[in-house]
Amino acid sequence: MKPYYLIALKSIKANKSRSIVTMVLTLISTAILIFASTLMDGEHKIMLKNAVEVYPGYIQITNRSFKEQPSFDNLIFDLNAVKQKLKAHHDIQTFTSRFETFALFSSDTKTVGAMITGIEPEHESQISKLKTALEEGSYLESNNTNALYIGKELAHRLKVSVGDKLSFISNAADYSFCADNVFIKGIFQTGLYEFDANSAFLNKEYFDEIFVSKNLATHIIILPKERSKSLLLSKKIQKELDQSLICESWEEFMHSLVKAMELDSVFGYITLAIFFIVIFFVIMIYTLLVVFSRVKEIGILRAIGTTSREILSMLVFESAILSFIGVIAGGIIGAYLAYYFNIHPIELGAKYQEQFKQYGMMSTALPTDFNLFTIARDMSIMFVLGVVSTLYPIFKINALTPSEAMRHV
Amino acid sequence: MIQKLIILFILLSLNLFAQTSSEIIQKVEDNLNGKSAYMKFTMIVKTKRYERKMQMQSWSEGKEKSFIKVIYPKKDRGITFLKIGDQMWQYVPKIEKTIKIPSSMMLQSWMGSDFTNDDLAKESSILDDYEHEIIDQNSTAYTIKLLPKEDAAVVWGKIIMIVSKEYLLPKSVEYYDEDGELIRTLLYKEYKKLSDRVYPTYWEMLPQTEDKKDHKTIVIVDEAEFDKKVDNSYFTKRALKRYSK
Repeated sequence: MKPYYLIALKSIKANKSRSIVTMVLTLISTAILIFASTLMDGEHKIMLKNAVEVYPGYIQITNRSFKEQPSFDNLIFDLNAVKQKLKAHHDIQTFTSRFETFALFSSDTKTVGAMITGIEPEHESQISKLKTALEEGSYLESNNTNALYIGKELAHRLKVSVGDKLSFISNAADYSFCADNVFIKGIFQTGLYEFDANSAFLNKEYFDEIFVSKNLATHIIILPKERSKSLLLSKKIQKELDQSLICESWEEFMHSLVKAMELDSVFGYITLAIFFIVIFFVIMIYTLLVVFSRVKEIGILRAIGTTSREILSMLVFESAILSFIGVIAGGIIGAYLAYYFNIHPIELGAKYQEQFKQYGMMSTALPTDFNLFTIARDMSIMFVLGVVSTLYPIFKINALTPSEAMRHV
Repeated sequence: MIQKLIILFILLSLNLFAQTSSEIIQKVEDNLNGKSAYMKFTMIVKTKRYERKMQMQSWSEGKEKSFIKVIYPKKDRGITFLKIGDQMWQYVPKIEKTIKIPSSMMLQSWMGSDFTNDDLAKESSILDDYEHEIIDQNSTAYTIKLLPKEDAAVVWGKIIMIVSKEYLLPKSVEYYDEDGELIRTLLYKEYKKLSDRVYPTYWEMLPQTEDKKDHKTIVIVDEAEFDKKVDNSYFTKRALKRYSK
């Protein structure tokens, strides 16, 4: 080892308080950065997961024009043919079809317009949270007729409860008039207020008779075996479909939500950046003071022939060692926190239930996202930040001539 | 002095035109609705993939009250509608229920056709809720522009009506939204003598928006009687169930 590196190590030992403060500051900052960013990522991931799994699903097939013009002219017209193609896919865990339309619901006292959807109860229960969102009564079964599964808020608006009779009128898929009486079989609450206030479900087999929608659907929802490969799978399925149909993964059809999360991350990182700028200057000022207390020592080193380049290497090495130790220790603590809160999410309690509902989250538990890439990235950022914050004092002192340095008081 | 006279003349002529357009609209409405009317009509709804035919009977008194009963197809037979003022009720025999159509559903399709519930409920408001102006005329027709009055709660941003000079009946009505986009056109064709008057017996509602480009609703008036006494019992909520059978 070159002598000035040994001097650097000796200097770390000699200036204990400075070394400890620098390492502790780096350690705390690293741990906080890792914890904050994994918590933010975890929050976003769970929000997206909730938003996707509550109802929309990971992959959707619709008529290409349905999103722009959701009319009966833009349906999936040969549902069975599409189902046959999907059955042949090994990457698909399961899939289900839905037929969504609007109806006027009428109880003894109230009339309310809302969405009515025919679903395949068994497949639907594996794909969305409809079944687990059951609050009262029971979930639909595939042999049910005249049984309605209704959102809690909609039931509240219509003043009905489990067992009550409800009538609906609507237009069938052939634009003819349709109506029937149904009984409330179950009431659900997903926590998504708008959804719970505007949705009711029927067994699709019965629905198809009333709405003349046999072999028709508005949506097919697909659950891939590997959720993370939704986009890839959707592209693969698209190639096999008729051009009138479109297959999209959640990243595409929930594009605005994904963008909103990204924007939220940007604001999160800006907040963290402000915090780190403060840390940066604290380390810099501290280093400045410490380095200037060693001006004479550096002046002597220069006078005995050490080049300014070697001095620079020595001081940077010194600060790199301190930063490295701080970052490693902080990384271990931050990673442990990220891991611990990933397994034991932070429970915010019922007090925050309402706010969480607005974001479509059914539980108030916030897990961190234990991701080694994020941890390594944050450790690298902190290491670079730690070294860079010492550069200014180092350059400053290195700019002095040996005689100036030795005369320095 | 001459200038003042010219201005006075212009104002007077504008006023005359305004009165004339109101009179024309009034006469058109009288000719279409009569003091009272009974009608039997066929409605054909054509969409991209389906074509359906329905038959109905209607009883009306002026523009305020009307009662409609579906008589064909069997699936829909007995569905009745009652309109009093701008309120509407519907009786559906299958569910044995009378439902008041809420205001939020007024713009929804009526019986799957290209007419809306609002078309039936607010039929009377054209004369009261719109300012009228004759914007063109030739030897056979007036072109009248209708713009909503400032505080009127109406659906359309502009209506252009072409009225036959000979019969004072509409030939076509174009409905525009608030942005001036043409939403639909209603054509009145095949003027025939029905009862005491000449009447358009073939109505064609043509939606003009992209989402309904293949849609069309045709109303064929099969029978009509005007200005004969209509039993008042039709215009009660009880009638919905009573006359459903």
